[in-house]
Formats: sequence, structure tokens, C-alpha cells
Amino acid sequence: MPREGGPAVTCDGLVKRFGDVEALAGVSLDIPSGITFGLLGPNGAGKTTLLRIWLGLTAPNSGTAKVLGSNIPPRSVLPRIGYMPQDLAVYLDLTVEENLALFGRLVGMEDDAIDARTDEVLGLVDLSGRRKSLVSTLSGGMRRRTSLAATLLHDPDLLLLDEPTVGVDPELRASFWTYFKQLTARGKTVLITTHYMEEASRCDMVALVHRGRLLARDTPAAIKDHTGAANLDDAFLALVREASL
Amino acid sequence: MLSRVLAVTRKTLSQFRHDRRTVGFIIVMPLLMVVVFGYTFGGEVHNVRTLVINEDAGFLGFRVSDRLLENITEDTLALETWTQGPAAARAEVVAGRAWAVLAFPANFTENLLNTNLSDTSTVDVVLDGSSPTIVSAVLGKLRAAAERVFAAGGVAPFSLERDFVYGSDGTRFIDSFAPGVVALAVLMVTTIFSVIMVVREKAGGMLERLFATPLRPFELVLGLALALAVIAFLQSVVVLGAALLLFQVKVVGNLGLAFAILLLFGIGNQGLGIMLSAAAKNELQAIQFVPLILFPSLLLTGVFFPLEAIPSGLRPLSYVVPLTYASDALHSVMLRGWGVVEVGLDILILIFYDALMLLGAAVFVRRQA
Repeated sequence: MPREGGPAVTCDGLVKRFGDVEALAGVSLDIPSGITFGLLGPNGAGKTTLLRIWLGLTAPNSGTAKVLGSNIPPRSVLPRIGYMPQDLAVYLDLTVEENLALFGRLVGMEDDAIDARTDEVLGLVDLSGRRKSLVSTLSGGMRRRTSLAATLLHDPDLLLLDEPTVGVDPELRASFWTYFKQLTARGKTVLITTHYMEEASRCDMVALVHRGRLLARDTPAAIKDHTGAANLDDAFLALVREASL
Repeated sequence: MLSRVLAVTRKTLSQFRHDRRTVGFIIVMPLLMVVVFGYTFGGEVHNVRTLVINEDAGFLGFRVSDRLLENITEDTLALETWTQGPAAARAEVVAGRAWAVLAFPANFTENLLNTNLSDTSTVDVVLDGSSPTIVSAVLGKLRAAAERVFAAGGVAPFSLERDFVYGSDGTRFIDSFAPGVVALAVLMVTTIFSVIMVVREKAGGMLERLFATPLRPFELVLGLALALAVIAFLQSVVVLGAALLLFQVKVVGNLGLAFAILLLFGIGNQGLGIMLSAAAKNELQAIQFVPLILFPSLLLTGVFFPLEAIPSGLRPLSYVVPLTYASDALHSVMLRGWGVVEVGLDILILIFYDALMLLGAAVFVRRQA
């Protein structure tokens, strides 16, 4: 069982509006450290907006948040965070290792450490043989794996992964999950957004987000118990119905 | 902070290294510009500031010099009566405020009319020969006026004593606009590439990822600027090399200073490119900004013709386009041999341009993440 520590992320009453659209309607949430945490909800629920606020990429209209103990924007702790955006966000016209080296340098790693860690993380995402390949010559799945490798390179304490397993085949997805569990065993926190209920059920804890509101936050088992549903899909639908009553 | 700036510079240079076609473009395009412009360009000038010192005593109240000046037609020369003496007039040319001085001596008319005298009449012409367009305009207008006055035609009854402050009557068009073409090439590359690079990063979600690291917007801008400065420098070497080797362009000034001016100019353009990219959603839109930058720079800045060739109504616009100052500074350094002090104002304006553009770029880049 992964150990639980103090919260890796907390937020209180986060509101974010884009014009007339309320992307977040007062979300309060805390995410314990040392676990895999699934942020679950349909497209447009507000998952990515939450991540962007926690990273300091956008400011909330109101509310507060702390990431790794630092108020947003969390500049001082950014080197301890690994962010994998939903977009590919790697340079197609650089090689795999050049992409990794850039992100390593930006968080202050030495070149020797970057070199050693590049071997490690490329082994992990099964790209060892493509270290010197231009990303533009790789398949879609390989590109996603390059992006994940860049996120893991500096061994961050908090991983914010926005839909990390899209376009990744089932075998590799299973090996990702094995690795995520290894990370949490070392006290790291892995936060994943997803709209796949099957994936969410692998998380130690999940939060259900719908139309900018938090519907539930608990272990997958507890949520199923609470709603009496057989699986997370049904549990989610039950919670949405309950919220709109 | 420096390590993050350099990380951006290194990755940007790596991107260029992997992109052979772009590298080819960087080298071939300016070469083409130098060659094409080198062979094809001429130009007409207007309102060339020309100082007239008329000490002609005349003969029985009649002065040939007046008849000559009346016959300098159209607006090619802006004639200005000068009363402070020849030394001060020449100083105006030395300082770059006037292009030419025409001095008629006291015995000008007398010598002309009295054919028994062996003395010929002389007009002393002081010229800034660093622009052959101007030289030929001044001399051409004077000859044309003489021909009109002495309708008999044939040999002109007097000779022009030329005194070239800078350059010589051997100065060619290519000599005079090589500095401008170099600056123009740097403008093209730095602006276009920075627009395209930033748009590409925006589209791929790169900016968002970069700003989720400790990288600050101004660090990104400086890193990109540094990489483009390297490219701009290499390109300047290619262009200047081509001008020197293919056309034997004469450079009398300090090449190091010329490069420094080009770098200052390139850095500002890069900031401009980043700001324009804020308005562009994709690379196609970004390309549409190119004519917006290129046309004013080509036509308003004195790159191919002196500023005097630009209609006076448009001239104020010339002073808003930064290439005007880069081109002027390079022209003065390469052809007049001026130093840092003499082109100090241009350099200060370019530094101001850099600061303004980089600051604006950092602000805009932040907004795009």
C-alpha cells in the first residue's frame, strides 16, 4: 500500500471564467502525496484548467491553491514538478535526446546527470534505440512516449500528466502503470487526468469533475460503494444525475 | 538564469542544424539578393541638399551663374544659397548634412564672356561621393543647365573641379547599397524566423510546457535572440563576403563596427517578430506579415536610394522604420569610414529599438502561453 503524507496539492474555492463560460465553479480539493490520483471527467469538465492553475500558467478569478507547499504561481517548486501537457509539446525538429536535454537544463540539471537519466527514462518508455532519432521520424505513440520521458527526466516529486496514455498501446500502458506505482512507492505523487473510467479505477484515489464542479473525491472502491454502482462508469453517471437534481 | 537562456539558444541552433532546407535558405536568399540587386539597380533622386556659394561679380550687371542656376530644373537638387563661406559649406558635406557645394568664383562671368583671356571659368563642386546616384545627379544637372545656357552646344565652356569628401567618381551603385542590402537580409531572416518559430511553438503546445518549467518569458526571448544573432552573424558574413568577392565592394571603415551594428539591428527585429507572432495563429498567417515588414523597409529606408529619393510627404515614415538607422550607420561606416562617435545617434536608436522590442516580446510571449 503506498504511504500517504501531507497534501501535494490543495485548493480552495477555485473559480475560473473564460468570458461567459465558467470553467471552474468553486473547486476545493486536496491531493495527498505519495499516491496515484485520477482527475476524472468528460472533455471540457475543467480538468486541464485545474492543472494550468496549479502550474501558474493561468490565474484563477478567485480562490487559493498550494502546490508542494507553495502558493500559486508555484515558481519555487516548478523544478520539482513534471508536467506532460495534453498536446504533444515536444520539438519535432529535434532528436529525442535533444528534447530531453532541453527540459533537463531548464530545471537546472547538469549535463552528466541528463545523460545518465536519459538512458534510464528512454529504457522505461521503450525508446532506447531511438535516442538520436528526430522526433518527426517517430510514430505517434513514440512521440507521446518521448513527451512522457521529458516529464520524467528530472525525477520530479509531483507528476501532472494530462491524458498521458492517449495513443499508447495496452501493453505499454500497463508498463506505465507499473512505473507509476513504483514512483508512488518512493513517495512521489502522480496525478493523471483521464476520461477513461478503466484507467481511473487503477488510481489510489479519484476526483470526479463535471462542468467545473467537484462531484466526489474518494477511492474508486468507496465511490462505487457509495453509489451502489457496479463500475466507475455507472457511479459517475449516478453522481451526475444526483448533482443535476 | 543564464543556463536557461543558453539552453534555449542551444536547442534553437540544433533545430536549425537539423533543417537543411532552412540553412540553405539562410545562405541562398541573401546571396540572391546581393546578386540581383547588384546587377539591376539604379535610381533617381530628389531634393538633394546642395549649397550654392555665388561670388560671381558678373559683367555689366549680368551674371551667367544666375542663368545656370535658373536652368537647374525639376526637384533633383534642393539649391540653397550659402553665405558662410566655402569652408563652412564643405563642413556641411563632411558632416553629412549636405551632399554637394557649388561655388562660383568672382570672375566666373567675366572669364566666360571675355574670350581673349586664357583663363577658363571654373565652378568648384564639393561632393559627397559615397553615393554615385547623388554624384551623377549633381553633375548631370549642372551639365544639362550649361547646355541649355550655351545653346551652341559642344564642349562646355568651363570645367567642374570635383572634390570628393567621401568615395570617388569610381564609387558604384553596388558599393553604395551593399550596406543596405546586408541590413535588409538580416531584417528578413531575423524577423521571419522569429515569427515562424514562436508560432510553431504556440501551435504545438510548446510555450505552455516551457513555462511550466522555471523558464521565464524574457529568458526565452533572450535565448531565441541569441540563437538568431548567431544566424544573423553567419548570414552577414555570407552577404558581406559575396559583396566583397563578387563585386569588389570597397569598405573603408571598420568591419567589426559594421557587424556590431548588424547584431544590434538583428536583435530588435527578432523581438518585432515575436510580437507579430502574437497576432498570428499559424505559420501561414505569420508569412503574411512578411510584406508588411519588407515593403516599408525596401522603399522607405534609403537602402537602395538615399532618403532624398523618397517623396517628402512620406519621409517622416522613413524615420519610423528601424532599417533607416541601421542602413545609415552601415553606409557611413563602410563608405565614409565613420567611427562609433559619428554613428552614435544611429546606434543609440538601435539600442532603444532592441530594448523596446525585447520588452514587448517578453510581454507578448507570456500572454500566449
